[in-house]
Amino acid sequence: MENNSLKEQPVENTDVNQDELILQQQRRIEKEISESIALVGEKEPLKSLEQEYAEDDVYLSKAKALAQKYSYIRRTRPDGNCFFRAFSYAYLEKLIGNKDEYDKFRDLALKSKDSLVALGFPQFTVEDFHDTFMEVIDKVGGDTESSHMELHKLFNEQGYSDYVVVYLRLITSGQLQRDADFYQHFIEGERTISEFCHQEVEPMYKESDHIHIIAMSSALGTGVRVRYMDRGAGTEVTAHDFPEGAIPAVHLLYRPGHYDILYP
Amino acid sequence: MAALPRRIIKETQRLMQEPVPGISAVPDDTNARYFHVIVTGPEDSPFEGGLFKLELFLPEDYPMSAPKVRFITKIYHPNIDRLGRICLDILKDKWSPALQIRTVLLSIQALLSAPNPDDPLANDVAELWKVNESEAIRNAKEWTRRYAMDN
Repeated sequence: MENNSLKEQPVENTDVNQDELILQQQRRIEKEISESIALVGEKEPLKSLEQEYAEDDVYLSKAKALAQKYSYIRRTRPDGNCFFRAFSYAYLEKLIGNKDEYDKFRDLALKSKDSLVALGFPQFTVEDFHDTFMEVIDKVGGDTESSHMELHKLFNEQGYSDYVVVYLRLITSGQLQRDADFYQHFIEGERTISEFCHQEVEPMYKESDHIHIIAMSSALGTGVRVRYMDRGAGTEVTAHDFPEGAIPAVHLLYRPGHYDILYP
Repeated sequence: MAALPRRIIKETQRLMQEPVPGISAVPDDTNARYFHVIVTGPEDSPFEGGLFKLELFLPEDYPMSAPKVRFITKIYHPNIDRLGRICLDILKDKWSPALQIRTVLLSIQALLSAPNPDDPLANDVAELWKVNESEAIRNAKEWTRRYAMDN
């Protein structure tokens, strides 16, 4: 049987899988970015944006327009999770010191696990993320000053911060699947809602679009205002409210590919 | 080395208590992130009767990124290359932290039951699978007998 074609072939080290290589490289780049920028940074005066764009007329005029409406910015790590991270930080920050809203949100968060499991998400893993999500909410439910410090600390610990992101991704996916008939119209191509969720919502590091924001804010019963800053014509920084007509609890700045937090 | 995350401990316990039928996954004595896996070839597939060894490794940022899995036993399959690497979407861009080791093992078992030559990793195998399925299945059975059965 020596020359049989089924015989084991020697393994060549040069045999590489392109997909795997690209993924690896992507990960390396992501990691490099990660190490240089905090998951959630300190609050900075909005002037820092103007300095950033001192040489760029289009962005500079928009940064100035933005400064008419907002005073501070808080930057987040550009790792594809920034929408979920920025939103959850800003929202919890807003709830600190607002007992009624906080209690309402805590109650909604508590009940959200069962509805995800009912939708077919695996109980075992959902529970794991839900436990950590509740832990974070509970840890920022004390007195105002210590809660702010705790929030900042937790959101800069990858273990907590990423778990919050995962759970919000699951909540978003759940909402999309619950209201599949409605959201189907927003999806390009032949994909079903559930395929879209598996590809674009549930995996980490996948960037968020309007559809993610609408679904998440609807699921949480809150509003988000996103200010869009790009190379488009005009000097204004256009605002979009999600869901339409909702009172925004959180303000975010969008620059192509990235979200940061804004404060009035 | 950092402590093992609670998630990994719980998953491992559960895999031991309620194993996936037809699959055994046992953590290594010295490295709790490395699993020795044995998958039984599914009934009515060309892999029936075979016991396939795999290795599964949980990377540092698991469950944010997917487990790494590889066949150690040689297998004739259009979605598994000769280094044992597996073409499975949930091991790549469709991995979600809500999935688990159990899901991965079940998907691999399903892949053995339903090879997909339209999304190949082993091109020569996939090609034969498409143009001459009965010969491809004969090869798969032969490899199973040769490499995945005792003696």
